[in-house]
Amino acid sequence: MADMFLSILIVSAIAAALAALLVVAQRYLANYGKCRIKINDSKTIEVEGGSPLLESLTQNKIFIPSACGGRGTCAYCKVKVLEGGGPVVPTEEPYLDAGERESGVRLSCQVKVRNDLRIEIPEELFSVREYICTCTRIRELTHDIREFRFELKEPAEITFVPGQYVQLFSPAYDDNEEVYRAYSIASDPAEKNIVDLVIRLVPGGICTTWCFEHLKEGAEARFNGPYGQFRLSDSDAPMIFVAGGSGMAPMKCMLHHMKNTGNKRKTTYFFGANLVNELFYRELMQEFEQSLGSFRFVPVVSRPGEGDPWDGETGLVTEALRRNIKDAAGCEGYLCGSPGMIDAAVKVLVELGVPENKIFYDKF
Amino acid sequence: MKRSPDMQRLEETLRSSKIAGGGFLGSDPRPLEEILDADAAELARLGHTQYELADRMRHISSRAEQGLGSWVAVDEIIEAAVTDTRGLMPCPWPHPGTFSKTVVTARNLRTGKTIQWSELNIHLIEMHGFFEGRGSAFRLEPAELADILF
Repeated sequence: MADMFLSILIVSAIAAALAALLVVAQRYLANYGKCRIKINDSKTIEVEGGSPLLESLTQNKIFIPSACGGRGTCAYCKVKVLEGGGPVVPTEEPYLDAGERESGVRLSCQVKVRNDLRIEIPEELFSVREYICTCTRIRELTHDIREFRFELKEPAEITFVPGQYVQLFSPAYDDNEEVYRAYSIASDPAEKNIVDLVIRLVPGGICTTWCFEHLKEGAEARFNGPYGQFRLSDSDAPMIFVAGGSGMAPMKCMLHHMKNTGNKRKTTYFFGANLVNELFYRELMQEFEQSLGSFRFVPVVSRPGEGDPWDGETGLVTEALRRNIKDAAGCEGYLCGSPGMIDAAVKVLVELGVPENKIFYDKF
Repeated sequence: MKRSPDMQRLEETLRSSKIAGGGFLGSDPRPLEEILDADAAELARLGHTQYELADRMRHISSRAEQGLGSWVAVDEIIEAAVTDTRGLMPCPWPHPGTFSKTVVTARNLRTGKTIQWSELNIHLIEMHGFFEGRGSAFRLEPAELADILF
């Protein structure tokens, strides 16, 4: 019996020693040297081999969206690896369908750079930059929504399309690791050294808790961007905006842009809130009504409290939309909010005559 | 107990706070298998299944979403409301799937007790029998959940 235990012990010890040797060898001997990554057949970067592709690109200021910090669970960081990526690894398999595998799509966080690569990424990601900034103002908009103003330091200016978003960096704090989270830009795009973000506190949220409890005026922060395809069309069609909560952000940004560019498109903006004190930017919206001429702001309160000074629209924002617009044929819809709100608003807009391909949205 | 590399990797992901604040396992020191087994045993003791709970939660969520943030009477037992926040949560298990960060608050009209869950909670309970670890912001105690929902 003792011999058997001794044998097991010896075999286990040998296995452990071999495993340790492999780890050491991987750490010190697996030297892939310099590798070249050719991107979109137009740009080549040289990186130190051995790191995940996502990390190598980030180090070269090419930012691929990612929500899980490179753990291979969000599948946001897909890129096309046309040459040199090696076989799909088991951690990627669940996230790639047959068509994606066929065309070389990979999770960039799971592809290790071991040799030269040829990859393809959306062209717009080349304009994504990392911005170092100072948080210069924090304003309480409602009990759980705040506006955070960031003044850019390096680079000192940002150019973006109204409707786009940035990924704000939340550093490690308490037991939370560093993460990036996406927020739409709310500020006037003409103010190129300022980015305002309208953020709602998420219960247990890593980045929003950092913003609400740790980020102070005067502190340094950073984000990367801009990202996203939500934007105003070039047409002259009348527009219907529908938003709720922090979905206000891209709409506000678009309205600033319309004012800056003298855009006189007829626009009706339905903004939903639960309570009267959950409405915000009302004065600013009144200013837009005056300066844009053909803009109307319709705040909707679903259940005004007793004694609340409210004689405006009540009920669901979609009910107010239906009450106020009888025929929306020829209009375009712009929506920002929760999936539930967007699905409900799309349904109403389609019933009112807006073609589905003329409804644009930024779904939370 | 010998653990597979996949299980080891999964627990590392669940303990990490990259996806959820404080991690899905919170301050719970127990290994993942033990947490899953203990909650499964608790559910059996209560006479419920993970599928029943998930079905009930999904039904309540679906009704609450129609309120677009307002309280909605789901039935004679429950009223519920949704709070919408930006972003998606991936399931930490190795398969595709992202879930909105919509948080549902359900209130039992008889007892006044409330409980909150996210869309991801429903998936984790239904597909993985996972109620999160103790100390996690979105840990759902099976007994408390069943008590409020039924």
